[in-house]
Amino acid sequence: MSFFSLFSVSWRRALTGLLLLLVWSFSGAATSAQPNNIQPYIDRVAEQISEFTLSNGMKFIVMERHQSPTVSFMTYVDVGSAYEQPNKTGAAHFLEHLAFKGTTLIGTRDYSAERPLLDELDQLAGQLKTTQAAGKSTDSLQQQFAQTQAKAAAYVKQNEFGQIVQQAGGVGLNATTSADATRYFYSFPANKLELWMSLESERFLDPVFREFYEEQAVILEERRMRTDNSPIGKLVEAFLQVALPDHPYGRPVIGFEADIRNLESRDVRDLFDRYYGPSRITIGIVGDVDPKQVQAMSEAYFGRFKAQTRAPDVSVNMLPQTAPRSVNLTLPSQPWYMEGYQRPGLTDPDDAVYQMISSILSGGRTARLYRSLVEQQQLALSIQVSPTFPGDRYSNLLVLFAQPAPDRSIEQVAAAIEAELTQLKTTPVPAAELDQVKTQARASLLQTLASNQGMASLLPEYEAKTGSWRNLFEELKAIDAVTAADVQRVAQQLFQPQNQTVGKLTAG
Amino acid sequence: MWLNGYLPKWLRYGVLALVITLGLGLSWASGSPAMAITPQHYSDLKFPPAPEIKLPPYSRFELNNGLKVYLVEDHELPLVSGIATIYTGDRLEPAEKTGLASIVGDTLRSGGTVNYPAEALNQFLEQRAAAIESGIDTTAGSASFSSLSEDLNEVFSRFAELLRQPAFPPERIEFTKNQWRGVIARRNDSPDAIAGREFQKLIYGATSPYARTIEYSTLDQISRPDVLNFYQQYYHPNNILLGIVGDFDSAQMRALIEAQFGDWQAGSPPVGRSLLQDLPEVQQVQQSGIFIVDQPQLSQSTLQIGHLGGELNSPDYAALSVMNGVLNGLGGRLVNEVRSRQGLAYSVYAYWSPQFDYPGLFLAAGQTRSEATIPFIKATLAELEKIRSAPITESELALAKDSILNAFIFSFATPAQTLSRVMRYDYYGYPQDFIFQYQKQLKATTAADVQRAAQTYLKPEQLVTLVVGNAAAIQPPLGSLSPGSKVTPIDVTIPSPQG
Repeated sequence: MSFFSLFSVSWRRALTGLLLLLVWSFSGAATSAQPNNIQPYIDRVAEQISEFTLSNGMKFIVMERHQSPTVSFMTYVDVGSAYEQPNKTGAAHFLEHLAFKGTTLIGTRDYSAERPLLDELDQLAGQLKTTQAAGKSTDSLQQQFAQTQAKAAAYVKQNEFGQIVQQAGGVGLNATTSADATRYFYSFPANKLELWMSLESERFLDPVFREFYEEQAVILEERRMRTDNSPIGKLVEAFLQVALPDHPYGRPVIGFEADIRNLESRDVRDLFDRYYGPSRITIGIVGDVDPKQVQAMSEAYFGRFKAQTRAPDVSVNMLPQTAPRSVNLTLPSQPWYMEGYQRPGLTDPDDAVYQMISSILSGGRTARLYRSLVEQQQLALSIQVSPTFPGDRYSNLLVLFAQPAPDRSIEQVAAAIEAELTQLKTTPVPAAELDQVKTQARASLLQTLASNQGMASLLPEYEAKTGSWRNLFEELKAIDAVTAADVQRVAQQLFQPQNQTVGKLTAG
Repeated sequence: MWLNGYLPKWLRYGVLALVITLGLGLSWASGSPAMAITPQHYSDLKFPPAPEIKLPPYSRFELNNGLKVYLVEDHELPLVSGIATIYTGDRLEPAEKTGLASIVGDTLRSGGTVNYPAEALNQFLEQRAAAIESGIDTTAGSASFSSLSEDLNEVFSRFAELLRQPAFPPERIEFTKNQWRGVIARRNDSPDAIAGREFQKLIYGATSPYARTIEYSTLDQISRPDVLNFYQQYYHPNNILLGIVGDFDSAQMRALIEAQFGDWQAGSPPVGRSLLQDLPEVQQVQQSGIFIVDQPQLSQSTLQIGHLGGELNSPDYAALSVMNGVLNGLGGRLVNEVRSRQGLAYSVYAYWSPQFDYPGLFLAAGQTRSEATIPFIKATLAELEKIRSAPITESELALAKDSILNAFIFSFATPAQTLSRVMRYDYYGYPQDFIFQYQKQLKATTAADVQRAAQTYLKPEQLVTLVVGNAAAIQPPLGSLSPGSKVTPIDVTIPSPQG
């Protein structure tokens, strides 16, 4: 489990990053082969972490770190695109955008005057849809809609929420939506703890999803940028539909264009009402804070949320794959090649083994696929493996992405990958290689310990996905316990033709 | 993602601190069990005093051979990392060998040394999850390492040997050239990449060191002797700044540096800043105009609109950064108007982006659906006109200034930030208190200053507009922007590699 679960951001960065020959960004950067040398530091950090749960069910995980007078916040909401209705894709991401629009007090000049206009806009949007469906002229309705929209806009203080955060010295204000979760985050100077408490609690207690229709246009632009005008974006979208049919991970996080256009404000409101209750919110707070004070403030500010029965999780009823699948796109672009293999979610006992396989294949300069395909055979410019994609709570995919080198064919790349995967299935991984990957996993965690934002992100994620933030540290033990036989066994199960989906993008 | 992050590098460290003591600040009794807290709306809150900036102690010394060293101890974790900054840059390579500096920077590390051949070196480092990297960008070279403190000696000796005796094996140079050939072949696959590249060429000129691109033909000109020459020209101890931060004892670290670098012979002058006396002249090449890269497969236009900018040490830098704040960010004028009100774009911004020692750019940019291209351009230009023609409001001024000043503490959050700032100022010949001078100027900036700066530095008549998009779908067409405006197509066809 890593930042890779942020569909919209990380794979893209990872791939384009490999093209920058100067910039190598390895996940691990420093540690030794002896786990015992690092363990005391990890144990010491673990002692700085505490947790509490409000009576309404909202969980908080707090890590004291006094290196600088700053504090990072993460509101982790346990709902992502996987929870959307099949014809309402993009609703979770749409909601994320609207959560920047303010409250009944923030972002408006006069909510009581604004509110009827927002209701009217929704009604007009509904009428427009039915009129359009009936094949009648919508001119006058459209005019009326535009007029009402202008009236409503006159009450809006654009982006006031963000302005307040920024003016107070907040940095890094943003949010992401993935298949599994929606995260809202930023950092403040340490003296503004209570300001975060006030703003963040009000944001989700009393949100107003204003500027819905303007934001719809913004999201369509975001989709054009990330997907429609990006060859690899298109390939990934098509690939997931083929690899994970009838699976919520098979649908794009940002949503299909038609769905984004059809979404109504009540769809977003429904998703909010159902899933943004305190039992699905986990907060991470890391930095220069006093945990007792955090708890006292949290009880006051977030204790205002009403307890709510936890909406059921998604159930995934995908038929097992029985034969290889493939998807081919022809676009004006240089070629890309993808392979995906279905695997279970992160609570599977072999989760650590999948992570190890991914690191052995593509974890750095000595990783097998890089060495073989990029350096030795020069078949690919870059190759990257993600152990989970596009989410990891439920069954998902281990995926490989490769950019064939000029004058090399996708078939040559595919054959060379297959040779490496076969090697993994037939020959036990040497002990030194296994140790190296374990060392890098420890290094990666050690590095993250020194980052307020990194820890504020990971602690609530582990809490929400695995039931305890402590699994962030326990995971190292699971990784340490992985044997060469485990790697071979899981590789044999995983890398099977009937488990595989291939994606090809060829130049047109 | 809610916002597509665009934060120029200079802004990340350019921001300044404010240590104001709010007289009304409450002092929290730490650990006091009975704190009765009543939830309040943000506007009613009172805060404890803003945290004070504390600079970590650092030491600076010079070896006999001229190597300048900066040390900062940081004992939070058992880690050490370091960076050497080398006075060089790809702007110093010959134009016909564009790519040479980049290849030197890459193969210095990836080719290993005689004692530590690449493959063994990679193995050694990755077994310890340590790293050594190197590269050369436009204005500087760098080599960095990171390691667990207990592996420091062994990693550092390899780091030193890479800097002093890189092997530059011929096959590694060829490999890197081939990787670049792959990058060239793929450079038109992203509209954003096309726009960024071609816009620089329009402003600085296609052959300028600040815009030229690596081509098959320039790669073919680069030989191993060129690589060795370029390396030998710049990699001398008296041409390097070395900074190390982490879990070490400074006296021991100094001894280690002496042992690894002390007997490295100094190079003959010129070195350091004096090496960079004859930087290339910069003039805006296209004085204005509209340019298009026609990509019929696109449904969205990627736009860059701008002109030549300035340097960071401008006396108006503070006023210009307030202008940046008013135009950009959450609640900035461009996001408010072009994105949130008009729904024309996901990403829109306009920054005065200065460089340390050559003129940067003023650049407005974003993406919009093909048919909204003209409205996007007009809406963006209207904001640029507005900030020149009328003073910003007092609340906009306060928002922009407070945003920078209140967040200043984040520029001092780690010892590594201080170390890299100290080195950066030395490298570019800036005073060490530059950031505090800026802070002072920023506090004193008025709405009138911002308008004067906008009028002086933003030049509507010099704006060059570049669109990467589907020409046929851009309706109304770009030519309708102003009477008689001509639209010049740019051909981005990649020349074929020579057999």
